[in-house]
Amino acid sequence: MSAHVDTFSYDDAIVRKFLWATFIWGLVGFLVGLLIALQLANPAFNLGLEWFSFGRLRPLHTNAVIFAFAGNAIFTGIYYSSQRLLKTRMFSDALSNFHFWGWQAIIVAAALTLPFGFTQAKEYAELEWPIDIAIAVVWVAFAVNFFGTLARRRERHIYVALWFYIASIVTVAILHIFNNLSLPVAPLKSYSIYAGVQDAFMQWWYGHNAVAFFLTTPFLGLMYYFMPKAADKPVFSYKLSILHFWTLVFLYIWAGPHHLHYTALPDWASTLGMLFSVMLWMPSWGGMVNGLLTLRGAWNKVAEDPILKFMVVAVTAYGMSTFEGPMLSVKTVSSLAHYTDWIIAHVHTGALGWNGFLTFGMIYWLAPRLFQAPLHSKKLAEMHFWIATFGILLYVAAIYSAGITQGLMWRAFDETGRLAYPDFVETVMKLMPMYWVRVAGGTLYITGMLIFGYNILMTWRARPATYEVPVISAPPLAPAHPEPAAPAGEGLWARFTAARFHRRWEGLPLTFTVLTALAVIVASLAEIIPTFLIKENVPTIASVKPYTPLELAGRDLYIREGCFNCHSQMVRPLRHETERWGEYSKPGESVYDHPFLWGSRRIGPDLAREGGKYPDLWHVRHFQDPRSVTQNSIMPTYTHLGRRTIDFAGIQGRVDAMAMLGVPYGDAVTRAPELAREQAQQIAAGIAAAGGPADLADKEVTALIAYLQRLGKDIRSAPATASAPAPAPGGAP
Amino acid sequence: MKLVDVMSAAGLSGYAIVAMVLFMAAFLMIVIRTFAPGSRPQHSAAAQLPFSDDASGPAPRARE
Repeated sequence: MSAHVDTFSYDDAIVRKFLWATFIWGLVGFLVGLLIALQLANPAFNLGLEWFSFGRLRPLHTNAVIFAFAGNAIFTGIYYSSQRLLKTRMFSDALSNFHFWGWQAIIVAAALTLPFGFTQAKEYAELEWPIDIAIAVVWVAFAVNFFGTLARRRERHIYVALWFYIASIVTVAILHIFNNLSLPVAPLKSYSIYAGVQDAFMQWWYGHNAVAFFLTTPFLGLMYYFMPKAADKPVFSYKLSILHFWTLVFLYIWAGPHHLHYTALPDWASTLGMLFSVMLWMPSWGGMVNGLLTLRGAWNKVAEDPILKFMVVAVTAYGMSTFEGPMLSVKTVSSLAHYTDWIIAHVHTGALGWNGFLTFGMIYWLAPRLFQAPLHSKKLAEMHFWIATFGILLYVAAIYSAGITQGLMWRAFDETGRLAYPDFVETVMKLMPMYWVRVAGGTLYITGMLIFGYNILMTWRARPATYEVPVISAPPLAPAHPEPAAPAGEGLWARFTAARFHRRWEGLPLTFTVLTALAVIVASLAEIIPTFLIKENVPTIASVKPYTPLELAGRDLYIREGCFNCHSQMVRPLRHETERWGEYSKPGESVYDHPFLWGSRRIGPDLAREGGKYPDLWHVRHFQDPRSVTQNSIMPTYTHLGRRTIDFAGIQGRVDAMAMLGVPYGDAVTRAPELAREQAQQIAAGIAAAGGPADLADKEVTALIAYLQRLGKDIRSAPATASAPAPAPGGAP
Repeated sequence: MKLVDVMSAAGLSGYAIVAMVLFMAAFLMIVIRTFAPGSRPQHSAAAQLPFSDDASGPAPRARE
C-alpha cells in the first residue's frame, strides 16, 4: 500500500446554499398549496385574477414542492454525503455552483411562466420547452460533477446510498428527455410529439417514475446515510439494502400504467403495471423495516431526539404510502379511488411525511455541522415535529375521507337503478367540511415550517465569523483492487456465491451505472414499444377528425387555463361512469390529441362528452360567473376570456405544427385563420341571437366554446365502432 | 412497408412478459447472491462507511 496521503477539504459552502434554497422554496411551495386548498374550499380565493386561478397555480404548487423543495433537499444531502462517502471534494466547484444557480433559475422560470398559462399540460412536466432544455443542461452538469467525484474518490467501495443517487441521476435524465420531446411552435409553446394513448403512456411512465426516482430513490439514499449518522448506528442490514436497491430498479420502472386503469390504455399494459406495482410492496417494506430496525437498541434516543423523531415518522410514512400505492394499483381499488381526493391524500402522505420529514430531520442534523454552532433550540424542533405531525394527520384524514366519500357517491345507485347523486356538484359540496379541515392541517404544517426556518436562521446567526474548514487526510485510491481471498469452495454454486461479482460492481461505478441504466431502459422499451408499434393497441375510428383551427385554438386556451387539473376527459367502461357521462372513451378518439388531456382528477365534471350538452350561451355565462348557472360550483370565474381577443394570426403556425406531427389538416394548412374567423363568427352570431353579448366573434371565449362543443361529438357521429388500422404514431395516417 | 406494419405482423404483444420473466430471473440471482453465506464480513464493513468521515468531530451540542 502506498504511504502517500492526500490532504483536501470538503465543499460545504454549496451544501449551505442548497439548504437555504430548500427552506425558501419549500415555504413558497407550501404557501401556494395552502392558497389552492383555500380556493377549493371557497372559490373567492381565486381573487378573480387569471394568474391566481386554481388551474394555473396547482402546477406551480406541485412543481415547487417536488422540484424546488424536494429537489434542493436532495442536492443538499447528496453534496454533503457524497463527498464524505467518497473521501474527496466535489469534482468541480464551478459545476457545483452552476448546478445550484441553474436550478434556482429554472425554479424562478417556472414561477414566472406557470401562472401565465405557459404549460405543456403534462403533470409534473408542465414546464415549456426552453425550460426543459435548461433542466437537461443543468442535470447533465450535475451528473458530470457527481460522476467526476466518483471517479476521483479515495474509497474503493461505493456505499449503498450512492447507488440510489446513481440510479436517480441516470433515470431522471432518461425520463425527462423522452417525456418532454415536443415540437416548438412559439418561444413558450410546444406540442408533444406523442398523441393520445401513446402520450398518456409516456406521461405516466414519466409521472410515476418521477415519483420513484425523484421522490423515492434519492431520499432512500439520504435515509441510508443520514439515519445511521443520526442514530450513530450502522444500517440494520446491508444485505437488505442491496436487495432494496435492485428490487426498486427492476420493478419501479414498469409500474407507471397503473395510473391509467380502465382508460383507453391497452389492457395488457394496465395489467403489467398492476402486477409490478403489487410486487413493489415487498421491497418498499423491506426498506422501511431496514430503516426502522437501524434504531434497534437506540429507541430511547428517539424519545429525546427530535431529529430521530422526524426520521422515524418519515420512514413510517414511506412504509404507509408504499403499502397504499400497490393497493391503489389493484384495478378494483383504482376504480373507486381514481379521479378522487384519495390520490391527493396518498401523494401528501408521501410528500409531507416521507419527503418533508426526512428533509427536516436531515437539516436539523446538518445545521449545527454546517453552521458550526449549536442548534438554536431543541424545544422549537420538538414543537415543529408535533405541530407538523398533527398537521399531516389532519390533512390526510380529511382528504382520505373526501376521496372515499366522493368515489362512493359517484358509483351509488338508488333502489330504482338510477344514479343516487346525478348532480355532480352535489358530490363536491359534500367535501367542503373536509376541504376546510385540509386547510387547517396545511396551516399547521406551514406553522411548523416557519418554526423550522426561525430555528435554522437563529442557528446560522450564531455561526463563527469565519467557518473552520477541516483538512481531511486520506490515502489515494490504490490502482489494484485488493479484496480478501474468496472462501474455499468447489462447484458452480460455490463459485457463484463466492464470485463477488456484486462487490466488484460496487467498485466499478461506470459498470454499475451502465447496468442500472440498462435495467431501466430495457424495462421501459418492453412496455413502450408495443404501445407505439403494434396497430391493434390503438384502433382508430373513421369518424374521428382533427380539430378545426378555431377548436385547436380553443384547446390551447383549455391548456393555458389548466382546465385539465380539475376536469378529466376519460369515461371509464364502468356502469356508473357511462350512466353519468355517456359512452366510454376509446383509444381511437384521441389519436390527434397532442398532448392528451385525459386528466387525473375530477374536481369538476368529466368533459369527454361535453359537446352539445349545453348551448353556447350557457358556456358564456358559465365562464363569466359559474355560480350563475350552477349553484355551489367552485369553478373560478373566467371573465378575461370575454375580454381577450383570439390570436388569429398565430393559429396558422399551430395548425402547421399539428400537420407536421401527422394530423391530416387538409386545406386548413393554407387558410387556418380564415377558417377560424368563419367559425367564430357563426358561434358569436348564435350567442347574440340567443340574447347573449354581441361582440364575441374575436374573443377567446368563443374559441374555447368551439372546442368544448366538439368534445365527444365525433364518436356520436360514428355509424359503428368499427376499427380501422391505426396511423403510425406521429406519422401520416 | 412501415416499421409499424412489420411490428404488428410479428406478433410481439406477449414479449413484454418475456422481458418480465428475464427481469425476475436476474433479480433472483442477485437475491441469492446477496443472501448467500460468506458475504457478511464484506457487508458489515460496507455498513460502517458513513462513520469513516468523522475527522471533523461531533456537532456542537444543542442548547437544551
